[in-house]
Amino acid sequence: MRSLMAFFFVITAFWSQSAFSQEIQIGLSNDTVAISSSFDGTDLIVFGTIEGADAQRLIDRAYEVAVVLIGPLEPVVVRRKERRFGVWVNGKSMRFENIPASYSVATSKALDEIADQKETSVLQIGLQNLQMAPLVEDADSVDARTFRESLKRIKTDKALFVEKIGGVEFISPSLFKARVPLPASVPIGEHRARAFLFSEGKMVSAKSVSFQVRKIGFEQFTYDLAHSNGLLYGIIAVLVAIATGWLANVIFQKD
Amino acid sequence: MNLYLPIAEMSVNVFVLFGMGLGVGFLSGMFGVGGGFLMTPLLIFYNIPPAVAVATEANQIVASSFSGALAHFRRGTVDIKLGVMLLIGGITGSAAGVAIFSSLREAGQLDLIISILYVVFLGTIGSLMIVESLNAMRKARLQPQAATIRKANRGWITSLPFKVRFHRSKLYISVIPVLVLGVVVGLLASIMGVGGGFIMVPAMIYILRVPTNVVIGTSLFQIMFVTMFTTIAQSATNQTVDIVLALILMVGGVIGAQFGAQVGQKLRGEQLRALLGLIVLAVCLRLGWDLVNRPDELFTLGFAGGH
Repeated sequence: MRSLMAFFFVITAFWSQSAFSQEIQIGLSNDTVAISSSFDGTDLIVFGTIEGADAQRLIDRAYEVAVVLIGPLEPVVVRRKERRFGVWVNGKSMRFENIPASYSVATSKALDEIADQKETSVLQIGLQNLQMAPLVEDADSVDARTFRESLKRIKTDKALFVEKIGGVEFISPSLFKARVPLPASVPIGEHRARAFLFSEGKMVSAKSVSFQVRKIGFEQFTYDLAHSNGLLYGIIAVLVAIATGWLANVIFQKD
Repeated sequence: MNLYLPIAEMSVNVFVLFGMGLGVGFLSGMFGVGGGFLMTPLLIFYNIPPAVAVATEANQIVASSFSGALAHFRRGTVDIKLGVMLLIGGITGSAAGVAIFSSLREAGQLDLIISILYVVFLGTIGSLMIVESLNAMRKARLQPQAATIRKANRGWITSLPFKVRFHRSKLYISVIPVLVLGVVVGLLASIMGVGGGFIMVPAMIYILRVPTNVVIGTSLFQIMFVTMFTTIAQSATNQTVDIVLALILMVGGVIGAQFGAQVGQKLRGEQLRALLGLIVLAVCLRLGWDLVNRPDELFTLGFAGGH
């Protein structure tokens, strides 16, 4: 019986390796991240399995995983403060198109141990591989580079860009779990979770799943109304203020 | 307790903000001022985006001025005709201010202009208050009975055309200075998030010569409508009014104002003005320091408008 099992293992392993059929599958702890009034950031948990993989290679831990969460793409203007007449004012600015509003990456090992630079660069895994070119003629100038680095630094300081080495944890040889933080200021909209499976420094499988970050209940109602019908929103804001002022007048009236 | 602000899109501590509302409300009740010129800088110090701070503060002032105006209305200390004239100017100024606000925001210079305006206004008003109250204290010591009524010459104001009679204020003056004053206050409301009482009250007393008993009621009447208009215009144009933030500040503000008013009655006018002058100067210095001091982070990420 035992030998039969082993035989089967070898056969499947041989078959899978020869057919390059090892595949990564992922599932998210939640399809929707809800921002309510008490929202103060959360962790998104990405579960995944490696299917159809060589059993021996699984046992040898020959697979590495990187999980990337990418927020909605948006244009960003980066401004630099300059001293003019003794006052620090916004001077030169550069506009960047298609910058992910948030970008988090969790990996099972340091990026350079998972794959070679060329591979991670093409796949845009890791902050240093995130492609962000400003809309200027010479996108490779020293200035453009400074602005790009500042954009990354500020996003990182605000916890919108996160790199978490060791954030992917193997529960069993073929089952992994990644815990990726989403900050309190996580942008609303459609986000994507991408998982990459690496073997011997090469990407062998990838999966992408989308999830929504949205405000719920009162927050959603307020935000939507403010942006879809600002006039009505303003009128409501004024009515709330009048009601508060009137209540104060009634409660605290002395005579 | 943390609360997520839907428009500012950040998580804030409710107690800190409520405390700020209470504190500024206390001061405004004590000194009889609106408090917007203290609250907006405080919100900026608390890292609320200046655009949201200014627009939301206008919304808060609606509540405090409504409460005050109602009380004055009952006592009959509002010159409606004068108030409406000021209001016509005020709405014009506010509409222009909201447009200026939008274009400054797009150009990335809004925060700077807000700070500079605050430093200029707070610095001037704080210094004037201190000088004036020190003078009053010195005079009071020399002649305890002498009230300081300045018989300033109305001069050029009386020579302006388009004169209108304001019965309640017993005035017959040109509408031009009234409208101009309204425009200035409307601009301040939309760009700085202040009621503008600190400009309007002295201007009404010393320039227009409005009797002091109707000055406060009439200015509150005008401020109430101008801030209402500003709130709606900011919401419709810039979507920067955070109703949750405004509500926290309103509730704190109206409660604080009650206690402040009680304390204020026990203190002497000159001392109060000197104290307020010092507070105003302290806020001015802090904002001024932030302007000239080299920031830790020279780069900022901005709103990429137009899309």
